[in-house]
Amino acid sequence: MNEGPAITIRNVSKFFGDVVAVDDVSLEIPEGEFLTLLGPSGCGKTTTMRMIAGFEEPSGGSILLRGTDVVGIPPHKREVNMCFQHYALFPHMTVGENIAYGLKLKKVPRDERARRVDEMLELVGLSGYGARKPGQLSGGQQQRIALARALVNRPAALLLDEPLGALDVKLRLQMRLELKRIQHELGTTFVFVTHDQEEALSMSDRIAVMNQGHIDQLGEPRQVYQHPETPFVADFVGVLNALEVRIDALEGADALMRVGDRDRIVVPTAETGVSVGATALVAVRPERVEVLRDGEEPDGAGSRLRGTVAQVVYLGTLTQFHIDTVLGKRLIAHRLSDDRAGEIAQGDEITLTWAREDASILHTSD
Amino acid sequence: MNMAASRSGRGALWVAFWLLVVFLYAPILILIIFSFNDRELVSFPWEGFTTRWYHEFLANETILKALKTSAWIAAGASAVTTALAIPASIALSRRRFFGKGLVSGFLLAPLVVPLVVLGTAMLILFNYLGFPFGPLTLIIGHVIIALPFAILTIVPRLDRIPVALEEAGRDLGANWWTTFRTITFPLLAPAVLSAYLISFTISFDEIVLASFIAGSTTTFPVYVYSQLRLPTQLPQMPAVAAVVLVVSTIVVSLAEIVRARADRALDSVERVADEPAAEVVGVEV
Amino acid sequence: MATTGLTSRRRRRPSGGASSWGIVAAPLTWVIVFFVTPVIMIAIYSVGGISGLSPNDIEEWTITPWKDFTTSPVYMGGLNPLGSGLFWKSIRMSTIVSFTSLVLAYPIAYLLAMLAGKRKYTLLLIIIVPFLTSYLLRVLAWRVLLNPQGVINTFLVDTVGILNGPIPWLFNSSFSIYLVLSYVWVPFVALPIFVTLEGIDEHLLEASSDLGASRWKIFRTVTLPLSMPGVIAGFIFVFIPTIGEFITPQLVGGPGGFMFGSAIQSAFSFGLDWQFGSAMAMFLVFTVAILLAIFGRYLNVRSVAG
Repeated sequence: MNEGPAITIRNVSKFFGDVVAVDDVSLEIPEGEFLTLLGPSGCGKTTTMRMIAGFEEPSGGSILLRGTDVVGIPPHKREVNMCFQHYALFPHMTVGENIAYGLKLKKVPRDERARRVDEMLELVGLSGYGARKPGQLSGGQQQRIALARALVNRPAALLLDEPLGALDVKLRLQMRLELKRIQHELGTTFVFVTHDQEEALSMSDRIAVMNQGHIDQLGEPRQVYQHPETPFVADFVGVLNALEVRIDALEGADALMRVGDRDRIVVPTAETGVSVGATALVAVRPERVEVLRDGEEPDGAGSRLRGTVAQVVYLGTLTQFHIDTVLGKRLIAHRLSDDRAGEIAQGDEITLTWAREDASILHTSD
Repeated sequence: MNMAASRSGRGALWVAFWLLVVFLYAPILILIIFSFNDRELVSFPWEGFTTRWYHEFLANETILKALKTSAWIAAGASAVTTALAIPASIALSRRRFFGKGLVSGFLLAPLVVPLVVLGTAMLILFNYLGFPFGPLTLIIGHVIIALPFAILTIVPRLDRIPVALEEAGRDLGANWWTTFRTITFPLLAPAVLSAYLISFTISFDEIVLASFIAGSTTTFPVYVYSQLRLPTQLPQMPAVAAVVLVVSTIVVSLAEIVRARADRALDSVERVADEPAAEVVGVEV
Repeated sequence: MATTGLTSRRRRRPSGGASSWGIVAAPLTWVIVFFVTPVIMIAIYSVGGISGLSPNDIEEWTITPWKDFTTSPVYMGGLNPLGSGLFWKSIRMSTIVSFTSLVLAYPIAYLLAMLAGKRKYTLLLIIIVPFLTSYLLRVLAWRVLLNPQGVINTFLVDTVGILNGPIPWLFNSSFSIYLVLSYVWVPFVALPIFVTLEGIDEHLLEASSDLGASRWKIFRTVTLPLSMPGVIAGFIFVFIPTIGEFITPQLVGGPGGFMFGSAIQSAFSFGLDWQFGSAMAMFLVFTVAILLAIFGRYLNVRSVAG
């Protein structure tokens, strides 16, 4: 078993002419981790992955695979394998030949090749499909064969380039579970690239949220979601409420803004170093915001803010409330669609409340 | 309701189409029919069905030698053309590089240069170099003419082969040669075959360059040309012509059908629209 | 906002492996050695920079071949396009042949591209195939049809008897030259027109109709203008090679079938005045270059290759 990280990316940058695709990115991916590079089109996630695979060379910095610097080494000599976005299965070969391709190049003897191909087919749930041609398979099946073809080589890491994008919704959800299962069974390091934050949240051990060539935040899904560190991360991952708040006082570990005679916003200062009089951008997730109707009083020392229901949006599982608050800003609250949710109507006067630890400061200015 | 034509308009166009087809094929068909006429001149009246002209041409050493010569030269020229067209197509389809427009201009320019100029140019070149005229000079010249056609046959096919397939090969451990051998070439094969056959046809039939640089080599077109300049031709000519025309029609049609079918097979695997694999190959002159 | 400039649709180049120049080296070298260089040599030769290739060569730098050629009434005949100069005669031939081929090809390309549905490629193949078979043999086929003792004339005179003698203009005439050349080129011209027409979004036609245009108006104001790039490409692709055409004119045109290209060829065979011939060939190159400079932008190779 290897000690040390499977992949180390150290101060890697990539320029295409004047364009900065990847900007001084550093990252350590331990063995067996499912790491996702998450971000919008053009953020550099695909370029970063292609540099790990060897299809692009970094303009600066180094990339280590299991401790060995691989910059300058062509893709066919690197111990990583890639699962391509549109599968890239060889149409003129059978499924079995596709999977065996890498093994054949490594001169694995025929018997062992056949055995490992069968093993893989079983792992991805497509035993017996060896003789078919890719053209005869559905999208989801092609996806799994592409996976098998890459994994059969027992790579140090598997790179997945938005593999689920072409599948329809139901299949996509299924495949997420499949991928997790396979990764667990094999213990292979997975590096997953996607722009779909739900995918990232549901599958990853850690997420690196990328924006304009650099990593804005690296952390476990729960951490990234509940405590976004930059406005970009907060906005990209999930729906977010962002409030500009003028700090009136500091109480212990919290910053406080008083709103009128009854309402207030309380947020932990963490290590942001805010001072009284400064303005902070405070974020709180909609599902953490509770809607209290007239007469109900919030308990605890958290934030409270009154407002009027501007719109009720029924989304099936969730009901979404758009509230015009006394601060003049519109906030969104989510609630599971229970009976209570059904009783709140447009035009109602309500009070919003949330716990102090459910908010975080994104940004401050004096 | 069809915006492109009215009922009667469409009818008229179909009539025009079939008339053109008749126009295109009638001379060939008439030639074939009269090649069976038991008459030395190709004309009416019909004097009975005979295959003697075919027998005679098969016994005519000169004609057979000319056919063989052309076949050998065409085989050689096509092989060279195809061998050069493959790397040229890869460079034009897959790569960006400085001067690409100029390079593609040079490679494709023979398409628009009158053959008489090409013939003159090569006559001067070979004369200047003291290079003897013959099958070799013809092969060289034919490659120049056929190369653009070969490239234009291979590039579209190459465009349809997603770059991701080659990357997948390299990701799985294949170096550039193995990738080409096991992935690109098998998928390219129908177009390569097509390119070979088109080059073969071009070379086999080529007369203008031959009239400049063939030296004493008698290719089939040279033979036909010399025949046509006589007041009366050999009565075997229609028979020979018939055979060559029919064979080339079949070969060319088959090549096209195979190529179209292979294209459709490739398209069925590209379920989702892939990134465009290449830039436009423009003739930058 | 600083952009990283990458979208997921950026074209991916395979990295590593042989360099692009390495790949293209062999074909490029071949073309430079056997095509570009010789054409340049014609130019140099025509002004005496090279000599000793034929007995009549002038041994030093000179413009005599050019002077002889451009002032000659036979070859240039001044700048009168309708005059008897061989060059202008060939230009006229090219023009007529190109136009005729276009006129014949356009309706067929239109039918196949707009109205033929699934069969269009098969039908297109039927049209194209003759072009890919032998040029010379097809000319032979026409000789056999057109000549005074040929199929058409013996049919009309001997078999059916509605004429007393063979039709004189059917052979060894300008008509026969234009007919045979158009016959040769029509399939080829159809291709770029077809490709361009095929690319026209049918919603444009529907929009035009929705706004009140009749079918004929739609054709005139939408389809035809949009098909012009293909038409011009087809025209140029026929026009340029035909200026130098001499085989067909000689074989079906009789004594009147002596063209500019024939003059070039005979300068190198019978005439043995190679430098003179080179000047003429070079003049042709300049003509082609000018035409390409004007019309070159229509020659998007994709429109021909389809």
